[in-house]
Amino acid sequence: MRISWGPQHPMSGQVRILIDTDGERVLNIIPDIGFTHRGIEKILENRNVVQGIVPIERMVMVDTANIALSYVRAAEEILGIEPPKRAQYIRVILCEVCRILSHLYGFGLAAEACGGYPAVFLWTTADREPFLDLMERITGTRWSYSFFVPGGVYADFPDKIKEKFLATLDYFEQRLEAYRRAWFENKIFEARAKNVGILKPEDALRLGAAGPNLRGSGVALDVRKDEPYEAYDEIDFKVVTRPEGDSYARLMIRYLEMVESVKILRQAIENMPSGPYRKFVSPLRRLPKGEAYTRVETARGEIGVHMISDGGTKPYRVKIVSPTLRNLYVVSQMPKISEVLLADVPVILYSFDPWYLDADR
Amino acid sequence: MVSLNEIITSIMEFIMSNLKFLIQILIIPGLLFILGFVTVAVWFERKYLAHAMLRIGPLYAGKISGILQPIADFLKIFTKEIIVPSDADKRLFYLTPILLPVVQALTIILIPFAPDWVVFRGGGFSLILFFAISGLAPLFPLLAGWASNNKYTIISSLRTAYLCIAAEIPLLLSAVGVVILSGSFDLVDIVEAQSRMWFIVPGFLGAIVFFIGILAESERVPFDIPVAEQEIVFGWRTEYSGILFMLTMMSEYIGLLSWSLLFITLYLGGYQGPILFGLTLISRMFWVLVKLAVLTAIIILFRTVFPRFRIDQAIKIGWKYLIPLAIVNIIIAMAIKSFFPFII
Amino acid sequence: MIDTIKKLFQPFMVVFSHVLKSPHTIKYPYERLKFSPNFRGRHLLDIKKCVGCGMCAKICPNNCITLIEVEKGKVRLPQINLGSCSFCGLCARYCPHNALTMTELVEISTDKRENLIYPPVKLAEPPSIKRVLPQLEKEITVQVTKSKIKYIRRKV
Repeated sequence: MRISWGPQHPMSGQVRILIDTDGERVLNIIPDIGFTHRGIEKILENRNVVQGIVPIERMVMVDTANIALSYVRAAEEILGIEPPKRAQYIRVILCEVCRILSHLYGFGLAAEACGGYPAVFLWTTADREPFLDLMERITGTRWSYSFFVPGGVYADFPDKIKEKFLATLDYFEQRLEAYRRAWFENKIFEARAKNVGILKPEDALRLGAAGPNLRGSGVALDVRKDEPYEAYDEIDFKVVTRPEGDSYARLMIRYLEMVESVKILRQAIENMPSGPYRKFVSPLRRLPKGEAYTRVETARGEIGVHMISDGGTKPYRVKIVSPTLRNLYVVSQMPKISEVLLADVPVILYSFDPWYLDADR
Repeated sequence: MVSLNEIITSIMEFIMSNLKFLIQILIIPGLLFILGFVTVAVWFERKYLAHAMLRIGPLYAGKISGILQPIADFLKIFTKEIIVPSDADKRLFYLTPILLPVVQALTIILIPFAPDWVVFRGGGFSLILFFAISGLAPLFPLLAGWASNNKYTIISSLRTAYLCIAAEIPLLLSAVGVVILSGSFDLVDIVEAQSRMWFIVPGFLGAIVFFIGILAESERVPFDIPVAEQEIVFGWRTEYSGILFMLTMMSEYIGLLSWSLLFITLYLGGYQGPILFGLTLISRMFWVLVKLAVLTAIIILFRTVFPRFRIDQAIKIGWKYLIPLAIVNIIIAMAIKSFFPFII
Repeated sequence: MIDTIKKLFQPFMVVFSHVLKSPHTIKYPYERLKFSPNFRGRHLLDIKKCVGCGMCAKICPNNCITLIEVEKGKVRLPQINLGSCSFCGLCARYCPHNALTMTELVEISTDKRENLIYPPVKLAEPPSIKRVLPQLEKEITVQVTKSKIKYIRRKV
């Protein structure tokens, strides 16, 4: 029978997933996206590189800094400028905070999907609050910062932000302990998520999984280590992998990546150099002819922005390769590579952490 | 010709001669007690869940922390429209939410609140009568799910059927352990036999089996599989709106009430407890209420702590782990009764 | 076996310790969060500084700023359509004379779309939260310590 796990559903998000079942076994999963298509790639053809940050950072609201960074780096490569060192460190700090925010949100939703454990979801929402407060002091809003610009960042850190940062990081490490004890060592959650949706390394590489889902199957690929950008080559951190490849491992990777992000943040705040934070680029100048492709590791996977410019003020074409679309393809091939029951569909889907707005763009 | 005076005097005679029966039916353990329990349980669940999730819960209705919120919701729901799906079986659709709370509340009349305060004695077999009546209860979600003509609800009714079958047998087996320890099928005699030591001490394994069985039978977390909101919207209750929805919600709490009362009677000593201020009847009822409050608070607490099981894992627990434990409990009960009868 | 029992009871302790904490929610509209000085809310126009250069209109990504004539013979001043505005702050950042700034007012909702188009005279009025939220009693600042998050409530 064909069930439509559709947009009118308490837990589906903005997607319609058609599930063919035979009793409790799932034969086929067919995702049907497109409910939130806004035409961002077309909009970007009509905005110059300074204005273009505003539409593109609304692609994934919870993880805005990483997405905006890819566009800004593509523009900088075409213009041929490199931002000063202090700006690179500021960008790394904002990206890592966004990674923590996105993982907290995805983790909370997965807890809710595993069977209605609403407590963890609301704790993660409450724990995002100190980080949002910090971002508000630095950039001016709680999300969609529009803080990056080709050439640097718009403003410097305010005074006395360092103590606040370190206090927030201390508080957050103590909260991570609470999550580990209440959620990851919870017998019923283990029964629900272990050995569910197993993805072997060869299948992960063949089908094109992205980000923490790839690392959850044991493949150690991370753009921050393979092609370091910004200040990542001066910071010491590990790439986290787990060998098992089931949903429990994927959620565990998100937890461990948050621990790594805290380490990166501490190093970046300590070692931040002083100096200028912006090389001024006029927004109304013409871009030189050329094309550029940049890759950035967002919280959901690797995003690629291919920008082609033909000499005007606005780019000719901006193509965005989104991580969630590739992850959804892996989900749709899941019934063919392992045994999936109907009750496992939310668990598997939310362990891949989909955000349908960036699949639709 | 019968005059108004005669009618009034005959009604007053009826009330006066059956006063005790009327109080039992209407106040405790009857209508007001059940409705009051449902109201307090809903309020407690909402407030406790809210504080565990670091929010506030009902606050403004009623002067003290939203105590009148359930009553406000109850009155609001009368103004909502009842929508019936076009291809549904109308008679069954309307009947099942009305009959389900009635069948579950019917079992409460067998529970003794004091040695002389039980509505229906049952001729010495009230334990068997309890299980017979409550065995009808899983039938109604099955009918409601089928009558709604919806794929989600059919999946949910099948899950209810599997779950309740897997849960009934361990419950019966652990009740057999209690019957061996006490020597009778009558609930009043079972409570009287616990005057020195509650049966939870010698029958500890049976108490664990019975507790897990209660969670499965009344569909509370971690066994609320038929109402798995994340997968099948709202299970067999999806298509209900308005008063029918409220009746399905009430049936969940009434089921919890009836099984908790049975657990208290069988394992926690029923109305046994020290007599306060020389009032035997009131203090016996008071002890039942205290035990009921503690037990339902613990069951409601589970909702904040555990996610839910998958249906095959729940059935596996019922058949593979609970039945052997219950049989071991029966053997221990037989050993205690034969060789150490002075313990009880 | 011991591991199973420990994993079944440990979540209880953690959840119970949360019941004893104070809630994280605020009772809006009786309380309101205090925002930082560079928060991007409704715009504020300083008419004495604006020269009518039109940089804000050129840079706006959503084309919601137009320059209109207010008094004959004086410079044109910007009119902002807050219904299409995405509050990105580019207009305030690129204004050469710092005439356009952003305040901390976010409660701009009305019941007609036309009321969201703010002419320059309305943009020049300083925002007042007390007028928009008459029931406001307290303001909250967030303070993070090592063990908990404190909400400090001050009377407004």
